[in-house]
Amino acid sequence: MRVRVVLGVTCALVVGALILDMSGSAPRIADTDHLNPVGFFSSMLGGQELCQPQMLLPNDAQRVQVLIGTYGFPVPALAVRFVDSAGRVLSSGRIAAGSPQGKVTVPIAYPHGATANGSLCIRAGGRRKLVIAGDIVTPGPAADDVQGAIEGGRMAVVYLRPGKESWWQLLPTLSRRMGFGKALFFGTWTLPVAALLLLGLWIAVGRLLLRELT
Amino acid sequence: MSSPSTAMAGDSPDRAQPSASAIGRVTNLLRRVPYAGRWCFAVAFLNVLIWTFVIPPFQVPDEISHFGYVQYLAEEGRPPPQGPIGQYSPQEQNTLDALSFVVVSGHGEQRGIMNSVEQQGLREELASSGSPVGEGGSSSATDQPPLYYALEAVPYLLSPSREILARLELMRALSALMAALTVLCIYMFLRELMPGTPWAWTVGALLVAFQPMFCFIGAGVQGDNLLFLASAATFLGLARAFRRGLSTKRAALIGLATVAGVLAKLTFIALLPGIALALALLAWRAWPSGKGQALRSLAVASAIVVIPALAYGILNTSVWHRGGVTAGGVAGATTSTNAPGQIINFRETLDYIWQLYLPRLPFMYREFSYYPLITTWLDGTVGQFGWLDYTFPRWVYTVAHWLFAGLGVLALVTVVRMRSAIRPWLGMLVCFAVMTVGLLAAIGDAGIHYRASTNDVFEQARYLFPLLAFYGLFMVLAARGVGRRWAPALGAALVVLAMAHGLFAETLTISRYYG
Repeated sequence: MRVRVVLGVTCALVVGALILDMSGSAPRIADTDHLNPVGFFSSMLGGQELCQPQMLLPNDAQRVQVLIGTYGFPVPALAVRFVDSAGRVLSSGRIAAGSPQGKVTVPIAYPHGATANGSLCIRAGGRRKLVIAGDIVTPGPAADDVQGAIEGGRMAVVYLRPGKESWWQLLPTLSRRMGFGKALFFGTWTLPVAALLLLGLWIAVGRLLLRELT
Repeated sequence: MSSPSTAMAGDSPDRAQPSASAIGRVTNLLRRVPYAGRWCFAVAFLNVLIWTFVIPPFQVPDEISHFGYVQYLAEEGRPPPQGPIGQYSPQEQNTLDALSFVVVSGHGEQRGIMNSVEQQGLREELASSGSPVGEGGSSSATDQPPLYYALEAVPYLLSPSREILARLELMRALSALMAALTVLCIYMFLRELMPGTPWAWTVGALLVAFQPMFCFIGAGVQGDNLLFLASAATFLGLARAFRRGLSTKRAALIGLATVAGVLAKLTFIALLPGIALALALLAWRAWPSGKGQALRSLAVASAIVVIPALAYGILNTSVWHRGGVTAGGVAGATTSTNAPGQIINFRETLDYIWQLYLPRLPFMYREFSYYPLITTWLDGTVGQFGWLDYTFPRWVYTVAHWLFAGLGVLALVTVVRMRSAIRPWLGMLVCFAVMTVGLLAAIGDAGIHYRASTNDVFEQARYLFPLLAFYGLFMVLAARGVGRRWAPALGAALVVLAMAHGLFAETLTISRYYG
C-alpha cells in the first residue's frame, strides 16, 4: 500500500513538473549561421552597410540577433535586409538608435516565404565605428564586405522565431528537427515514437515496482 | 547483506544445464536471471536506445574519436597506427563538417541541422562523401586497446546501409546493449550482496538504468561503455566467488570480465591490484578444502587475463607497430605528457589525488580553486551533458547536494545497523576498497599530468562509472536507512526520482539541440 501511494504521488508530481516545464514560454531559435562569436572580426562605420553572403534565411525567422560592440556608446539605428542572389529584398527590418551594446535583436518583416539563400546586410546609422562578433574567414566569397570592400570576418547570426513560445507550441517543429542531421531512417516520427516508448517504459517500471516492492 | 556462506534456496550456482547449443546455453543462462532482472535489462536497453535517438550524431564526448577508431579497424582490419597523420577518414571529416560539428560541440547556443534546406545539403554531402578509409592518426581514443572497437566493428560491417550515420546508429545500439548488460550485472551484484532483500536488487539496478549521465555515455559510440560493463561484471564475479567460493568456473568468469576490461580501456589496469588481492584471498580461503582446486582456479583466472594481454602487447609492438606495448596508452596518461622541464613529484601527486576527493588538509598545497568532490564528481554525476556544454539550472544541483547528503546519512545509518552482518564480508570489502582507491589514484595521477601539460581540467564524473555497482549499492543502503517497513517505499520514490531526472535530462537535451 505504501509503495502504491508513493508511486502515485511521485508520478503525479513528475507529471505536474513536466507540464509546468513544457509550458514555459521564451523566444526560440529558428537557426544560426553556424558560426561562433569568438571575436569581433567584422567592423563598419556609421553610414556604411556590411553584407554577409552565403546566408540562409529560415522560413520561421522573425528576428535577427547579432553581438555588437560600440566602445561603450549606444548602438546606432540599424537597418537589416536579406537579399537573394537576384538582388530582391526578401525581408527587412530596423531598430532605432539607443540600445546598449551587446546582443542586439532586429525584427524583420514576417512571413517572408520559404527558406532561402542570399546575403544578410546590416546598415548602421550615425558616424561611429561598430564591431560585430563572429569568426575569421579567408578573405573571399564567404567573407563579409563593407561597401564592396572584402573583410576577413563573418558575423555570427542567430535567427529567432516570432514571439515567445512554449515547448508545447514548439512540438511540431521539434519533431521535424529531430529527424534532421541523423541517419536516413529517422524522420518526424522520431520524437513522438521516443515519447511513446518512454511512456511505455514508465508504465513497465511502475508495474515492475508494484510487483517487486509490494 | 547476508553471510557469504548463505546461498538462496533453489539457487545452486553451478547446476549443469543440459544443452548442447550455444543458443540453448544462453537461453538457460537467461532463465536463471530472475524475472525482475530481465526486466531491468530490457528497461535499461530501451531507455538508452531512446537516448540514442535524442542525442545528435557525435555529440557524446569523444564519439568522433571512438567512431574513427572503429571505422579504421573495420576498414583496415587492424587498430590505428597513430602518429601525426589524419585522425579521421574523409567520409567522417566531411560528415562532421556538414553537421557543423566543430561549431555545435562545446557551444550551448549553437544548433545543428535545423531546416529542410540544410538537411538537403547534408544528404548531398553524405551521398558524395569521401572514402571511409582514413590514415588512423592519433586521437583521444587510438592509444586504447581494440576490444570495444572490434565489437563495434560488427554492427559497422553488418549495417545494411553504408551511410555513415546509419552505421553510427547501429553502433550506438550496441553501446546501449552494453549499458543494459551493465545494469543486469549490477542487479546480480546486489542479489549476491543482499540475497534476502529482492526489492533492493530491482531498485538498485533501476537507479543505475535511469542515471542520465550513464545513459548519455551509454547512448554513444564510446569505449567507456565496455569499461563500465567489464567493471560491473568483475564486481559481480568477485561478489559471487566471495559468497559461494572460488570454483574454476567462477575464476574463469572473473578472468574473462577482467581481461575484457583490460582490453577495453587501460584505465581498468587501476583495478588489477584489488582483483589480484581478491583472487589471492579467495584462493587462500579455498585452500583448506583442496589445494589443487584453489591453485587451478587461480591459474585459470590468471591465464585468461595474462595471455590475451600479452598477445595484445606483442601485436602492438611487432605487428601493428603502435609505438609500444600499450600503444602509449599508459604513458600517455602519465609523465610523458608533462610540459617540457616540468617535474611533478610524488608529494604533489598525493596532494592532488587527496584533494580531488577529500577536503584539503592544512599542510597541503592548494591544488584546486574549487571543491572537486562537489563540482566535478557530484555535479558531474547529476548532469554535465554534451561536450560538457549544457547543464541543468543551478538550483537542481543545490537540491541534489542536499538530497545526496541525506541519502549519505541514511546509508551510514544502515551500515552501522548492519555492522554485524557486514563483518563476514570484510575481506571482500577490503579488496573492493583497494580497487576503488586504485581507480581514484589513477584518475588523479592522469589528472595532474594532464593539467600540467594542457592547463586544463581532466576529470569528468564518468571516470568514476566503473564503480557504478557501488552507486546502486549506496542507493539501496540509503533506502534501507528508513527501516524495514518504509524502505521499499523510499526505494520506489528514489526510482521515480531517477526516472524524472532522466526525463528532464532528455527534455533538456532536446531543447539544447533542437529548441
